Amino acid sequence: MSNEVEDTLKRIQSHKGVVGTIVVNSEGIPIKTTLDNTTTVQYAGLISALADKARSVVRDLDPSNDLTFLRIRSKKNEIMVAPDKEFILIVVQNPTD
Amino acid sequence: MHSQVLLAKKLKNFQAYVNAISKKKVSKSAEDDEFEQWQKSRQLAKPKDQLELTDAELKEIIPRVLQSVNVQQPDNLVQYSFNLGEFVPIPPTGNAILVFSHKGTYLHKESDDARKQLIAQGIDPQDLGAAPSVVAVQTEGAAAVKETESEDEEEGEKSEEEGEGGEEASQVPAEGDEEPQAQAAPAAGKKIINQFNFCERAALTYTNPRMSRDTQTIPPPKATYSANVLQWIIYDEYQQDYDEQQLEKERERERREQGKMTVSKPGVKKGTGKVHLNEALQARLFECWRTLERMLNLNTYDYIAKDYRYWEDPADEFREEEGTLLPLWKFSYEKTKKNTVTDILWNPHYYDLFAVCLGYLDFMKPVKGGAICLYTIKNPSFPDYICLTESAVMCIDIHQKYPYMLVVGLYDGNVMVYNIQATCKAPAFQSNSVTQKHSNIVWEVKWAEDLPDGEMNFYSVSSDGKVIHWILMQNEFAVTTIINLYLEKDPVRGPDGTLVKRKACASCVAFHPENPLIYLVGTEEGLIYKCSTTYSTAYLFTYNAHNMPVYRVDYNKLNSAIFASCSGDWRIKIWEDNRHEPLFVFDLGSCVGDVKWAPYSSTVFGAVTSKGSAYIFDLNVNKYKPICMQAIVSKKKYKLSRIAFNNNLPIIICGDDKGSVTALKLSPNLRVPCKPPKKQQHLDQHTLQLMKLEKLLSLVREPTVLTPPPDPAGSTDS
Repeated sequence: MSNEVEDTLKRIQSHKGVVGTIVVNSEGIPIKTTLDNTTTVQYAGLISALADKARSVVRDLDPSNDLTFLRIRSKKNEIMVAPDKEFILIVVQNPTD
Repeated sequence: MHSQVLLAKKLKNFQAYVNAISKKKVSKSAEDDEFEQWQKSRQLAKPKDQLELTDAELKEIIPRVLQSVNVQQPDNLVQYSFNLGEFVPIPPTGNAILVFSHKGTYLHKESDDARKQLIAQGIDPQDLGAAPSVVAVQTEGAAAVKETESEDEEEGEKSEEEGEGGEEASQVPAEGDEEPQAQAAPAAGKKIINQFNFCERAALTYTNPRMSRDTQTIPPPKATYSANVLQWIIYDEYQQDYDEQQLEKERERERREQGKMTVSKPGVKKGTGKVHLNEALQARLFECWRTLERMLNLNTYDYIAKDYRYWEDPADEFREEEGTLLPLWKFSYEKTKKNTVTDILWNPHYYDLFAVCLGYLDFMKPVKGGAICLYTIKNPSFPDYICLTESAVMCIDIHQKYPYMLVVGLYDGNVMVYNIQATCKAPAFQSNSVTQKHSNIVWEVKWAEDLPDGEMNFYSVSSDGKVIHWILMQNEFAVTTIINLYLEKDPVRGPDGTLVKRKACASCVAFHPENPLIYLVGTEEGLIYKCSTTYSTAYLFTYNAHNMPVYRVDYNKLNSAIFASCSGDWRIKIWEDNRHEPLFVFDLGSCVGDVKWAPYSSTVFGAVTSKGSAYIFDLNVNKYKPICMQAIVSKKKYKLSRIAFNNNLPIIICGDDKGSVTALKLSPNLRVPCKPPKKQQHLDQHTLQLMKLEKLLSLVREPTVLTPPPDPAGSTDS
C-alpha cells in the first residue's frame, strides 16, 4: 500500500500546475514537502488551523457529519486540503498555468 | 441567719450613702451659683414663630391634679362575640399601674425553702424554731454594735478627706468594711462560704523570644490547560463511550461463552493489530491522495468537464438527420501504450467507471503482458485500479450484482476472476493452466445469473470451438463444457488416416437478455450459431452471416428478437431471430471492430472501424447511411477496436490499438427521444421505442416463407 501512496504522490507532483505538496501530521508539523522551508512552515501552520476550524464548523452543524475536503480558491492559485484525523495533505495548484 | 446578716450590712451601707450625698450637696451649692451667672449672660436662641406670651400668661399657674382614677382608660369597652352574635362588654382592666417591681431574696424561715437551706447549711431547723428569739436578738445585737463602730470610722475618715471624690471615698471604706464583718460573722456561728471572698493574684512570666523560620518546598508542577467544548466534541465523547460499552458487552459475552478456557490469543492479536492499524492509516492516506488527484484533475480538465456537462452542438438545430461527436477525455496508461484495447465495458453500478482490457489483436506483433484498467471519468489522468496480467487480456465482464467481481479471458486460454474490492494484484480465481483451460484465445466471457444456491458462474468462448461454463467454488472452478462447435461439414482426413471433425472457432458470444438459456456464438468462419445451454449437440439455428470472422454479436437493448453483428468483411448486419436473411446490411468500407446498440433508443447503434472512425446509425432516421461518421483518431496511426455506450450519460467510449480510450459526447441529434403521437400522449418512452422499431421492421420485413398463390389445378394433381 505504501508503494501506491508513493506513486500517487509522485504522480500528483507531475500534474499540470502543481506548485507543491505538503504532508502535515496531526500536530501541524510538516513531514514531507516540496516547497521551501519558510513557505512550508507557514502553509502547515495556517492551513492546519483553518482545517481544524472548518472541521469544527462542519461537525458543529451536524456531529455525525465530517469534513472530507477543503478547496481554497484564490486569485493566484488554489489550495487543496484533504484533512484526516492524523494528517493533512495540502496541494497548491496554479490552475491557469 | 445569713440573710439577717446581709440585711444588717445593707442597712449600714444605705446610711453611709445618705450621709455622703448630704455632704456633697453642701459642697456643690457654691458651684451652682457660678453656673447660673454664666447662663444668664447668654442669649437664648428662639425660633421665630415662637408664641409670644405676656407676663401674666407666663405666670399663670396650670394646675396639675393627681387622681386615683385613670382618665385615659376607656370605661366601656365592648367586643363583638361571634358566638353570641352581639357586642359583649369587656370587664375594665382596673386602675392599678405598676410602677416598680423588684424581686427580693428574703425567705420566711418557716417556709420549706428556708428549711431546706438551713439543712444544707447544717443547721437543724427545729433548733432554730425552738429558740428563735434568742438567735434574732443575738444577730441584731451584733449588727447594732457594728453599725456604731463603722459609723465612727466613717466620720473619722470623712473629716480627713474632704472634697470632690467624697462619694467614691465613702464607698471604698464601706466595701472595705465587709471583710471584718465577714470575719466577724463566723465568729458568731459556723463559717459560711462567702461568694465575695476572693483574691486576685497575678504573675508575670517570661515572654518567649519570637523567631521566624521558613523552608521552601519544590513548587507543585503547573500546567496551563485549555480546551474548547463544542457540540461535536461532546458527541464524539459519547460515541466513544458507547463503543467502549459495546465492546465491553461483547467481551463479557465472549468470556461467558469461553468459560474457563484460557486463551493466549490476545497477545498475538495485538501484534497484528498494530500492523493492521498502520495499514489502515496507509489506506486512508492513499484515499486522501486519490481525492486530491481528482480535485487536481477537476481544475486541469475544467473546460472538458464544462463541455461534457453543458455543450450541446448548436449546429444540430440546423442540420437534419445528422449529428456530431464531441471528443472529451482521453484515457491512457503509460505502461500499456503498446497494447490494443480488446474490450471496454461500463460498470453496471457506478455510471462513471469503466473497465478497459489491454491485450493485442495483431498476432504478428505480440505484446508481453496485459492489463485491466478501471478508469473513472472523474480522473482521466490515471486508472483507479490496475490489474496487471502475464498474458494479454482479451475480454472482460462485470457482474451485475457484485460490481467488483470481474471475469477476464486471456490470450493464453486462461480465465481469471478478480475481486477488485479485495485486491488488484492477484486474481481471486484462476483457471488451472494445465488441466482446465481453453486451448486457444478466450474471445468473450459472460457472467450468468447466479445459481439457485448463490454460486457465481460464467460462460466463456474461445477459438478452440468450445463454450465452457465455469462455476466459482470455494477456491477453484467447476468446469463444464457446454458445447463443442463442430462445423456442419464432412470430416476431413487427418495426417495419420483418422477422420477429424472440423471445429468452428468461436469469436464472440451474446446471451439472450430474456431467456438465459439461449445464446448466439459468432465464429471466425463467419457463421452465427444460435444455441441453448441445455443442448450440447445441436444448434437451434445457424445464420450464414459473414464471410470473415464475426467480431461482435449484440442483442438490441429493447427488443431481444433483433440483434446486430459486425465482421471483418466491412459489414454490419441487423438480424431478426430465426430469419436467414438480414434485415439491414451496412458496408463501412473497412474492418468493423465492434457494434453496439444504444441503451436509450431501439434504433440507434454505434460501430467503430479499423480506419479510426466511429459511426452512429439511427435506422429510424436513415436506413441506408450513418447519421454520424467521424474520425476519432488519426487514420494512419490508429485503429479503433471497441465501442461502448454509457447507460446513463450521453457518452460513448472508443478504444484504439495504442491502448488509449477516447470519450465522446453524443450531440442532441444522435439521441433524439421519441415523440408520442398526438392520440397516444400517455405512452412512455419504452413503449414508444418498441413501437418505433416495430414500425420500422414491418417496412423491411419480408415474409419468412413465400407462399405461392393457391393453384386449383396444381392441387388436384398432387
